[in-house]
Amino acid sequence: MAETIIQTRNLSKRFADGNLALEGIDLDIYAGEIFGIIGKSGAGKSTLARCLNLLEKPTGGEVFFGGESLSTLKGKALYQRRQGMGMIFQQFNLFMQRSVLDNVRFPMEIAGFARRAARVRAEELLELVKLGEKADSFPARLSGGQRQRVAIARALALNPRVLICDEATSALDPETTRDILALLRDINERFQITMVMITHEMQVVQGVCHRVAVLDQSRLAETGPVREVFSNPQSKAAQALLLGEERSAALLLQFLKEKGLSLEEVLSRV
Amino acid sequence: MYEFAQMLLKGLGESLYMTLSSTVLAYLFGLPLGILLVVTEPSGLAPRPWLNSALGLVVNSARSVPFLILLVAVLPFTRAIVGTTIGTTATIVPLVLGAAPFIARLVESSLKEVDQGVVEAALAMGASPLQIVLKVLLPEAGPSLILGSAIAVTTILGYSALAGFVGGGGLGDIAIRFGYYRYQKDTMLVTVLLLVVLVQLFQGFGMRLAKRSDKRL
Repeated sequence: MAETIIQTRNLSKRFADGNLALEGIDLDIYAGEIFGIIGKSGAGKSTLARCLNLLEKPTGGEVFFGGESLSTLKGKALYQRRQGMGMIFQQFNLFMQRSVLDNVRFPMEIAGFARRAARVRAEELLELVKLGEKADSFPARLSGGQRQRVAIARALALNPRVLICDEATSALDPETTRDILALLRDINERFQITMVMITHEMQVVQGVCHRVAVLDQSRLAETGPVREVFSNPQSKAAQALLLGEERSAALLLQFLKEKGLSLEEVLSRV
Repeated sequence: MYEFAQMLLKGLGESLYMTLSSTVLAYLFGLPLGILLVVTEPSGLAPRPWLNSALGLVVNSARSVPFLILLVAVLPFTRAIVGTTIGTTATIVPLVLGAAPFIARLVESSLKEVDQGVVEAALAMGASPLQIVLKVLLPEAGPSLILGSAIAVTTILGYSALAGFVGGGGLGDIAIRFGYYRYQKDTMLVTVLLLVVLVQLFQGFGMRLAKRSDKRL
């Protein structure tokens, strides 16, 4: 069995307003895998993602990163551990007043890299995400897909062992989603970076994830290899997710029928 | 006529001196205070709810004192610092005291405009609260801070005109002495016009600078 890089034990989070977001979460994420966390909105996915790097402080249980418990870390020690985990977001969260290059350079500035070394590495990373010629542009001038590429380059700047992707493709159109997923898969294969993909989209999980955890009403409903969970869902929540997909497929077919179109016809045009 | 022009020129110089040096000094206090107000909020980077409420109370109290009353109330303090209570330099003390809390609120609202997601991204990269203030909040709020400073300058210019009442000099002093006390309506008109032009210039310059520095456009 592969090495476990992120582990949570009995993790729970109750917000100050009394709202219980997570309860008794036990996760084992293996080094090098792409691990999906899927669930409906409000299931606690984003909170779980934020507990992994302690952006949210868990109210119970523990989070381990590389075998070390994060829950008790504070200040500098915590900031340093976070530098070992990259994160990308649904809304990209780029620094709008910094150029593309300076966005990618930011984490290295924080970590105290020499200016020159940071510049060289930032340029390499922009090449990696195929945005080399946009180095001097500002984020406002980029498309959504390009912005997420900058965010990916920025998240990789400090050679993280883990990349947390919080709904990273949810604000993108289907084609751009495919591109970004392909890029993430490529990065995973080339650099063996573990990825945690938080999403509500089945095709993200089906497209790139090795294993998946289904989150339902603050609890883990089931965890397993993607193929197993999708072909033989054990929990009601996983079944509902799949059924939801089936239902939308059925609705789509019905819609096409009403319009007098066949699915083959539509697909051939795309 | 020549004397009148000279007097106006001197008043203009005094007004600019009072306004600009008060603005700079008021920012020395107001900027850190504004940052503290944002950072110590319960949901801020370094939550200190107790300190936050205390600072808020101090700022609000200072802001509720009418400037004319502040001007008189701090006379002993002014004397202790500047050595005198009359003249343009003496006016700078109450101007700074009056403007700093106002500037703190301006800075606070500019910093609060910064997208929380961007702050979260910086936190996820392992940035410390201090690094986030210096490298994220202030630069990202840049254009808004510049606009705020244009508002601050013009407001301080307005306050400084009141300084005429305590012999503070400047255009406001001229307007009050000649226009108000001696019924020289045309003098009053000219000085007020000059003040209008100054406000226009400061505001226009601030807006241009803010627009130019904003990379979102």
